[in-house]
Parts: sequence; structure tokens; C-alpha cells
Amino acid sequence: MARPATGDRLVLSVKHAKQIIVGLVTVAAVALLLTPARHPEVIPTGRTLVRYWGYWTGVEADAMQEIIDSFNDTIGKDKGIWVQYISISQSDQKTLTATAAGVPPDIAGVMGDQLAQFAAMNAIEPLEKMAAEHGITREYYKPVYWDACSFEGHLYAMVATPFVVGLYWNKQIFQDRAEQLRAAGLDPDRPPATLAELDRYAQALEVWKDGHLEAGGFFEQQPGWWREHLYDWFGGRIFDEKTGRLTLDSPNVIQAYDWMQSYSKRIGPAEVSRFASGLPDVNTFDTPLQPFVTGALAMMKQGPWLANSIEHLRPAMNRWKMSKQEESKLPREQRKQNYMWGAAPFPSAVPGEKNAGFAGVDILVIPSTARHKAEAFEFIAFVNRQDNMEKLCSLHCKNSPLAKMSGSYLANHRNPYIEVFEELAASPHVHPVPPVPIWPQIQSELRNIAGIIVQDVGPQSSPAHLLAEAQVRYQAELDRFNARRAERRARGLLQ
Amino acid sequence: MPSQRPHPERWFAFVGTTLICIAFLFPLFWMLSTSLKRNDQTMEDPPRYIPNHIDWHHTAGGLVLPIPENYWAVITHDKMDFPLYTRNTVMIAVLSIIGTVLSSSLAAYGFSKIKFKGRNAMFALMLGTMMIPFPVLMVSLFSIFRWMGDHTPIQMLGTLRPLWLPAWFGSAFNIFLLRQFYITIPDELSEAARIDGCSELGIWWRVILPLSKPALMVVALFTFMAAWNNFFGALIYVQHRDQYTLSLGLQVFQSAHGGTEWNLLMAASLLILSPVLVLFFVTQRTFIEGIATTGMKG
Amino acid sequence: MTRTDARQLGKGLAFVSPWLVGFLLFMLLPIVLSFYYSLCDYTLLQPPLFVGLENYRDLVHDPIFWQSLGNTLYFAALTIPSALFLSLGLAMLLNVKMPGQAIFRTIIFLPSLMPIVASAMVWMWIFNGKIGLLNNLLSKIGVSGPDWLGSSTWTMPALALMSLWGVGYTVVIYLAGLQDVPRELYEAAQIDGAGLWSRLWNVTLPILSPVIFFNLVMSIIGVLQVFDIPYIMTPNGGQGRSTEFIAMYLNDNAFRFLKMGYASAIAWIMLLIILVLTGLAFWSSKRWVHYQGK
Repeated sequence: MARPATGDRLVLSVKHAKQIIVGLVTVAAVALLLTPARHPEVIPTGRTLVRYWGYWTGVEADAMQEIIDSFNDTIGKDKGIWVQYISISQSDQKTLTATAAGVPPDIAGVMGDQLAQFAAMNAIEPLEKMAAEHGITREYYKPVYWDACSFEGHLYAMVATPFVVGLYWNKQIFQDRAEQLRAAGLDPDRPPATLAELDRYAQALEVWKDGHLEAGGFFEQQPGWWREHLYDWFGGRIFDEKTGRLTLDSPNVIQAYDWMQSYSKRIGPAEVSRFASGLPDVNTFDTPLQPFVTGALAMMKQGPWLANSIEHLRPAMNRWKMSKQEESKLPREQRKQNYMWGAAPFPSAVPGEKNAGFAGVDILVIPSTARHKAEAFEFIAFVNRQDNMEKLCSLHCKNSPLAKMSGSYLANHRNPYIEVFEELAASPHVHPVPPVPIWPQIQSELRNIAGIIVQDVGPQSSPAHLLAEAQVRYQAELDRFNARRAERRARGLLQ
Repeated sequence: MPSQRPHPERWFAFVGTTLICIAFLFPLFWMLSTSLKRNDQTMEDPPRYIPNHIDWHHTAGGLVLPIPENYWAVITHDKMDFPLYTRNTVMIAVLSIIGTVLSSSLAAYGFSKIKFKGRNAMFALMLGTMMIPFPVLMVSLFSIFRWMGDHTPIQMLGTLRPLWLPAWFGSAFNIFLLRQFYITIPDELSEAARIDGCSELGIWWRVILPLSKPALMVVALFTFMAAWNNFFGALIYVQHRDQYTLSLGLQVFQSAHGGTEWNLLMAASLLILSPVLVLFFVTQRTFIEGIATTGMKG
Repeated sequence: MTRTDARQLGKGLAFVSPWLVGFLLFMLLPIVLSFYYSLCDYTLLQPPLFVGLENYRDLVHDPIFWQSLGNTLYFAALTIPSALFLSLGLAMLLNVKMPGQAIFRTIIFLPSLMPIVASAMVWMWIFNGKIGLLNNLLSKIGVSGPDWLGSSTWTMPALALMSLWGVGYTVVIYLAGLQDVPRELYEAAQIDGAGLWSRLWNVTLPILSPVIFFNLVMSIIGVLQVFDIPYIMTPNGGQGRSTEFIAMYLNDNAFRFLKMGYASAIAWIMLLIILVLTGLAFWSSKRWVHYQGK
């Protein structure tokens, strides 16, 4: 900042600066406007344009674009189809608006959470017939992903990429706090195998200083991305498909959120909140402040992509003992030792149940008013071909949805623990998003409840109380949804 | 300030402004600092305010350019066609400004200088249109654009027109803003012109427009900014990657799981910001010097 | 209607026609439809089903609606007065001739230009409870700061603080308004021996009052539609929905829950509230807004 004494001179220099700036900007502007477009997309004549809108951006979109390019060059060329991808982070609004206005895209990439809702509104095309024609049946997939794409017995979507959630543990921290772990009767060389053990590990790994929590063992709310699916690790269900009723207040669901709250009860909500204050929140978790990367948390629930995320945020964690080059010379099984972290199934609360939890999907759907359904499915089937799907999942650093996996896919996966996730995904104890048409509302409420119970442990904030309230409110909402669905059907408004 | 001798008020003002500006600058400083770092350094504990090392761009020939590597990476990014998106955005901005300034000032003249039956009701209606949240109008508006494409020669969907054409029909915000300014212009001026045989259009053009330059500048500036940062409209109406605007292009650096490039996002944001910044820096004098309304009122 | 009246009407309509045509072309139908939808069960993906006033009846019993409305009004109470004073004060400071004036003005205006994702990220870093700048500064004066974005008590003040950073928009409008203050008036006041405050109170503010009024009305309209900042900063409405704003709830209903009819009903209730508030502002304006032209 300039001192006022030199005011006049400053005014002068500002004027010069202005001229210089204006000059530079003019030059830059002219240069910019004269630069030709780098990749003008030209649709070859004679091809049917298949418009595909998705919410992937950044590297995820790039990976899909590779598959699209390869489709346009091969099958697309043979069958006269050209797929064009529009990548927009909030594509759901765009897709819904365009669909309501009668000009939907031919393919929409949406989250699995929306499937039941869209399907119950007859807004998306059932795909089982086209799938069968392409030789795609239930057996082709790991069962949970076929279920995740189905509603009321019909297949309404196909997988774009899947994931499953496991437990990551930081080997370095386990070693550093080996004494505390051993004192608690725990083995510092392995992750917890049961939920009770996880609680003990978490407590033993905590570091306290001056009455404050310096480093944590585990918190469900970090990152909290699956807090609305917590009951999946407790044998709980929030929807009974046979009766069509919600079961938000069933014992296992309450037990799940009681468990989540137990950490706040043990440590004290104020201290939990104080600790969380140093961490990024749910939506911006992917920053270098991410606590598993900084070492603020010794264990965390995450999907297979964390390996890739770590590579971006703290590469040293993926080079614990040696360089990548040296690592590549090792047999695959031994490469794991070069990672400061390990991955395992998140333990289930149900005794004896291994490989339990939540499995999610990004899906591809065809709007029922789309113009080029068969062409759209050609592309969707192409994406689900084993080679392409494995490529996509590798690039996204996710597990495969398919029952069969190639050796090279497993061997070259960027997550050295990919087998852990593949086994998880194949397990009968993993569950997809509950097939409730009003799931988005329930999801929002469960997230809200999870937020309340960790900040307040009073009786008004007991999971039993909050879930009972939610049960009443959303059962009424579901009943009305079903009633209106029936009315539409009766009046022929629903095809 | 009217006084000739140095005034304690001015010192107070200078010091106060400096302090406030430092506070306002801080977040920007952090953006700048982040934009120069490597991605894994973007958030350290304790925070590093000044990057310890800046990567400058090295050309293939080994030449070091005075452009930080991150900025170079943004401009030449494979998936974000910076020049093209800039061109799209500039086009939308320029067309919007011309349209808005003309149409809004015309309408504002009508709302402030011509007394006609139903004026107040119409004005209230106009204000009312601003109060309905856009999301509930969006779907119908989209249908109208579609209808226009199907039944008139004006194709809307699949073009950039939805992003600038509505600006030619005035915007309620700007009409209201300009009306508030026009109202302060004494009626004697327009009366005098009327007596001299000037038409209403002539009064608007020769009397009102020159007198409302600062307000028109504000309208132009806001329109430019709105067009420059328009994310939502672009999001809904753009149907082709070659039509992306800069704010849509920013998404290239974000990613759902693992790999948002914060440093590039910041560099790109600052790059996008810079033209507006320069524009403001250069044109803000219009607000200082104002116009010769002095002496005509009071 | 006399002939002059008719002529005036014709002239008036001719001048407002750009807006009028735009309104008829682009606004009228969507507005009418949105009212019709508010009486329907409309999922966007199926034809609307008429349900009468049911959406409005539901709204009355919807705790989330009331909570988000309360949050929005709380945010309005936090930001509207503070933004008014801050922007007015800043505009006056920036109107004083001083070295570096152009730079100062640019700096104040700069934040309003920032792409929202970028500024959200910066502010999340500032509000971070542990390494954030704000708590860092607070600790220097012996105050241990809260987890700004994680606590239901502090998120709202944090968002308000952040929104004040974007006050440059309003400052520019005031600056333009200040150019309208005739220098003679100041000089006359000074000859009369009026001090700084008296000049401010008797000269500047009355002349600026139409612009203040404009900004007041716009901020009422704007604040009830606040959406993007809380949406990015505190997704899912923050802890215990403490930052669920009415516009966010509307958006969720429209595009996440696919209850466009319900969302439209919310919109019309919002419109009603804004109408009442701006109506109050217009009513009160007769007492404090001075139009020189009249």
C-alpha cells in the first residue's frame, strides 16, 4: 500500500499502469479471439446422434470420454451411431428440465439413489429385453449391482461405475501407537475384525493432549458419506419390500445410529465437534486436509478410489518403503508393503457376518421419451463389456460390477487392495440403495439425524426418538406417493 | 471534498479504507498463493502463506517463460478450451450488455418520466417477477424455448441465444435501478426539451441518457459480470461442449472422488476474474467523475 | 379517458414495451403455470395431477419448511442491516479523493466477481476450526474460536460474514448514487457551519435515499432467494438443518424429491412474504425517500 505522502507520484504511476494494463489486455484479447477452437466436435454425416448427459467432471469425465471415443470409432462407426457427452456437475437439473420439456437426452448418467424414484414414475425405460438381446443377464454381474439397477423386478439401468465401502487403516500410526494397542490387548499389525474390536482400536489410537483430542481413531462422520446407509453394517433394513412399509424405527436401524452416537457420548459432543472443526466437511472432503491423509484419523470408511486420492494428496503414503519403480519389480502380493495404509472390510455388528455393508452405483438410464433408445443401449452395452468396464473402473479407481474379472485388471489396479473390495462387492451381505421411490427424502432425513446425534446426546436427540418421528412422517409421505401413483394409473396417466 | 486544506477526515478515510481493503484482500491473497502451489501443498497445517517454490513454465526447448506452470496448464488445458470458452462468454456478455442497456433504460424512462394509466400497477408487476424463484419458472421457460424452435424460425435450444436474447427485453433489476436514478433527474429538464419540440425518444436519448452515465455504467458492468459468471443458465441450456462458457469450463478441475485440482481451479478462477478486474479498474473513473448534473438541481 | 390520457398511455406503453413484450413472451406463461403447478402433484416426469390446496396445507405442517423459513429470516436479519451500513460506509470512504482510490475500489469490488466454487473453497479454509485464519486471528487475542461451519450456532454468522465480503456490488450502486450529490449542496452546508455528521445526515443520505431504497428492496428479494453459498458451503442444510434456506428447500423439492408442485407452492409463499416485506418498504419509503426530481 502506498503512503499518502507520495500521492501525486502514485497517481501518475497508476495512470501508466493503466495504459500498460489496457495495452496488454487488448493484445491478450485479440490473441484469444483469434485462436481457433482446439477440438471442434464434428459429427460425421450419416450417424445417429446419441446425447449423453452426465454429472461426471474432471478425471471421471475424461475416462468416460475415452470409452466414448473408442465406441464412436468402432461399433458406432459400424452401426452409424455417434455418442456425444455433456459433462456437467449438476446434470440432474438439466436432465430433468429437458425431460419435462420433452427433449430428454438419450442417455442420462445419474446416481443410483434416483433409480427407484424415476422407475416408479415410469420416466425411464425398462432394459431387460435389450440387455438379454446383448447377452447381458443377472449372472453377468455381481448380484448387488444387478439389484441396484432393478426396481419391482425390472431392470431400469446399467452400471456406469460401481463402488463398495471398506475400512482403511494407517499402518504407520498403528506402529507408532503399538504400545497403547498392545496395552489394550490389540494387535498393531492388523485392522480390527469385529465392531467391538473397532471401538477398542479407535479408543486406543486416540491421542489426548491437555484434555483435548489431538488425533482420532475412527469417526463414522468422517467423511460421513454413507451415514444414511449405516444400518447396512448392522443387519438393519429401512424398507420391507414384502409389506412395502418403511422400517426406519426397527431395532437394528436404531442400533446403528446408537453406535454412531456412542462415540460422541464417550468423548463428549463438544470435544468431538472441536476435533471435527479442524477437518474438511462432507462435501469438500477431497482436500489435502482430509484427516486420513494428514494422519488426524487412523482409520476411515472409504471406497476403492482412496488409493488414487492419496496419490494426489500425499503421494508419500503410496511410497512407504521404496520408489514406485522398485515396487513394480515386486510380485503383486508383496507390493502392499509399500503402502502406508491397508484396506479391509468394515466389520459388521452381526456376529459371524463377514463382508457386509453398502454398495453404490453410478448408473446409465434411458429416459422413456428418448428418441434413440436402441442406439443408446448399444453404447450402454458397450460400456458394460468386460474390457471397457474394467478400463473405466481402473481409471476411476473403483471395483468392477461384473462377476468375472480379468487377471490384468486385478494386477494393474491402482488400489493394491482391490481384491478386498471385489470380495466385498461379491458378498451376499452387501446391500444397494433401498428400493423406495421416496428415497431421496429419506436419505436427506437420515443425514440430518446423523448430524444431530453426534452434536447432541440429550434425550431429544436419541436415535430412537428421531427415527420414530421420521418413520411416521415418511411412511405418510410414502403412502401418499403410492396413492397418487395408483390414481395416475387408474386415470391412465401412467403408461 | 470541498475543502482545500488537508483534512483530518481524509486521513481517517485513507487509513480506514486501507485496513478494510487488507481484510478484503486476504481471501484473494490466499487464492493467489494456492494457485501457485503444487496440489499437495494447497492445504498444509500450519498454512503456508507464501509458496516456497513457484514452478515456472519450461518450454520444450528448455526456455523458462515468466508464466507460472499452473496458469500455463490452465490456458493450454486439453479438456478446457480456454480461448473458445472465453470467446463464447465474451459474445454472450457483449450482446447482453447492448440489449440490456438499451431496453432497460427505455423501459425505465417509461416508468419514471411518462405518467400513464396503470403505470404503478405495471411497475409492481415487474418487481413481482423478480420475486418468483427461477427454479419454478425454469421448466416452463425451457418449454417455451423449445416451442420457439419448433414453431418459429428462431432456434433457441442448442444455441447460445437463451443466454443473451432475454436481455434484450430488459431486466427487472436494471429497470428498477435506472428508474431510481431517472426519478432524481428534475422534470424541468425534460419539460424544457419538450417545449423545444423534442420528442420523448429525443428526450430519452439527448437528455436522460447523457445524464445517467454512471447508472448506465453500473448496469453495463453488472450485466457483464452476470454474463461472465453465469453458471446456471449455461448449465441448463448449453447442449454442446463447444458452447461452454468459462464458468462451466471451470468444472474440468473438479472431481467427485479424488483429484480436484485446487491449485488449477484457483489459477483458472483468477484468470477468469482478471478481465473483469481490469475492466472495472479502467472504467471505475466514470463513477468518480460522474456527470454534469451538478448545478441543475437543488 | 381523455385524448391526452390515451396519448400518454400510448407513449408509456411504447417505452416500457421492451419489458412488456419480454414479460408476455417469457414470463407470463411460466408464472401462471407455476401457480397452477402449486395446486398439483407434479413430478416433472409425469403430467400434473390436480390436488387443490393440498400442497399449501402440507406446507403448514412441514417442520422443515418452517425451519428453513426461520433460518432464512434469521439470515436476513443478520445480513440486510449490516450489509446496508457496510456498503454505505464503504461507498462514502471510496468516494473521498485519496491516493490509490482506483485500487481501493477495485479491491472492494473484486470479491463479487469471484466464481462461487473458488470463493467457497477459500472461505472454508478461513472458517476451518483448527487451521483456519479466522480462529488463528481470534487466538491471538485470546479467544478460542468455534468450528464455524460445523456447529449449528456459528454456521449462520459465518455465512453472513462471507456474504458481507461480496458487498462490493452494492457499494458500486451507492458510488454511482453519490455522484448525484451536487457539490454546491455540500458547500452551502459547510458555509452554514455544518459538520461531517450533519452534512451526512442532511445532505448525503436524503439525496442517496432512492438508491438506499433500491438496495433495500433488492436485498429483501435477494436474501430470500439465497442459494448457492450455503448449498456449496453446508450441503444438506448443515448440522441439524441449521443452514437449510428456503430456496435450498425449494430446489431440493423440485429437482431432488421431484415435487415440483410442492416447490411451486413454496415459491408462491415466498412471493407472498417478499411482497409483504417490500410492501412495507414501499409504505415506509414515503417517509424517508426523497426524490429530487419531484
